[in-house]
Amino acid sequence: MDDVINQDGTVARELKTGTDAEVDMQSTNESQSRGTVGDIYVDDPRMTCRNVNVYYGDKQAIFDIDLDIGKNQVISMIGPSGCGKSTFLRCLNRMNDTIDVCKVTGQIKMDGQDIYDGALDVVPLRASVGMVFQKPNPFPKSIYDNIAYGPRIHGLSDDKQHLDEIVETSLKKAGLWEEVKDRLDQPGTGLSGGQQQRLCIARAIAVSPEVILMDEPCSALDPIATAKIEELIDELRENYTIAIVTHSMQQAARVSQRTAYFHLGKLIEVGETDQIFTAPKHRLTEDYITGRFG
Amino acid sequence: MNEMTSGHTVKAYNQELETINGLVMELGGLGIDQLRRAVQTLKDEDTKAAGQVIDRDQKLNEIDIRADEEIIRLIAKRQPVAKDLRDILTVQKTIADLERVGDEARKIANLTIHFFDNGKTPPGNEILRDIYSMAEFVDEMLVQSLEAFSELDLHKALDVIKRDEKLYEEFRDALRRLSTFIMEDSRSVGHAVDIVLALRALERIGGHAKNIGGFVIFLVTGKDVRHEDLNIIAAEIADRL
Repeated sequence: MDDVINQDGTVARELKTGTDAEVDMQSTNESQSRGTVGDIYVDDPRMTCRNVNVYYGDKQAIFDIDLDIGKNQVISMIGPSGCGKSTFLRCLNRMNDTIDVCKVTGQIKMDGQDIYDGALDVVPLRASVGMVFQKPNPFPKSIYDNIAYGPRIHGLSDDKQHLDEIVETSLKKAGLWEEVKDRLDQPGTGLSGGQQQRLCIARAIAVSPEVILMDEPCSALDPIATAKIEELIDELRENYTIAIVTHSMQQAARVSQRTAYFHLGKLIEVGETDQIFTAPKHRLTEDYITGRFG
Repeated sequence: MNEMTSGHTVKAYNQELETINGLVMELGGLGIDQLRRAVQTLKDEDTKAAGQVIDRDQKLNEIDIRADEEIIRLIAKRQPVAKDLRDILTVQKTIADLERVGDEARKIANLTIHFFDNGKTPPGNEILRDIYSMAEFVDEMLVQSLEAFSELDLHKALDVIKRDEKLYEEFRDALRRLSTFIMEDSRSVGHAVDIVLALRALERIGGHAKNIGGFVIFLVTGKDVRHEDLNIIAAEIADRL
């Protein structure tokens, strides 16, 4: 979509039709004044975040973030500890709802649907926006039941045979099937760290999500297990939208197509990963990724 | 130490970048010196000094190799990104160009030996004059390109690129004058061919200086301006000038 430069220097986009278009244009103008460097938009967004603020009690953790998350893309979120990247990630499937003092304002839409709409049921939302955490957290159940749990509670399978298929497909997509197919009845907690993380990814996949959020998914893994997860992320991109928070800048450079740099709760810069890691536009981004952050 | 090399949390990284940037300046200094000495040997008809210039080229080759070793180590150890990555790539390319400046200076020194140590009548001063004036011109370009590199000065970088166009005109003019010499006295054909090679060597040195100007623009702005028209280059970096 073509950008249009307004007389006052702000950037508007071509009008679409209906109310959404007006909201988009208005928020675009605002976003330019909010100071994120780079293009917050993508041509084909799965999720759109506008003017997102997060407060923990009186303390504001996230400030006025506008960001599109594109379909079948990996977007990585980087920044120093406490910059708000994980907090922002958790907004995307309303995980922050579980924290009493946390308040989220602004608008986050998935495929045009406001995910903070009061009438929206958060359970199916979290199935469509799955999450993988820093530390692998398999249920204390068999490998099979770890995967089958979600489809069962969401009523996604009609019979045992269908459930078997879901388990097999999910484990295959997560690159774990060959390693565990002969021991599906054994506890998931008995797997290695890397296998457990892939089990958690398979568990997220089993409920047919649109988006997978990953919060430092490799920080507890060795380099080989990390490489396997990174390879998996690249394969999953074909079918899913992935947002990953990582402390490893090399990992962000390797796995993502877009990179967002956060600093003190603000989205400082977002852009193509190739651009961010070769010629970032904002001084703070450059200082961070080149190790000049004091 | 400039903004390209300083400021890392890991201070050894600053030092490593400083080292490879220092090698550019060292090699640049030697390249300029080789050029001046080579041209001087021609003026002085000093074949012994020309031999020394040729021998000294080995020192430039050694710096070239050392820079490559340092760069490989640095990339493996630090996984550079953004301006660090651009700095390292710029150093590597600049070093390669400066090493070739040394090669071109060596060609001129070889010419001194060829002219004055082969028992034949050497060329007169008149026919060599263009070599001296072009040498001064490329000397200034080379100095300016190294200043642009060390000071991260886009003005100087752009100016060197501009001057390369002027250099090419000088080269064409010199060739025209050589043709006149040949037409006036056909015995000067042999010398004229050798002088063309010397002028060509000098023109190449100017080309290397121009390349360095382009690398500096890439280093500072992240824009690759090689093979682009001068006006486009100027427009692309206008916001940084």
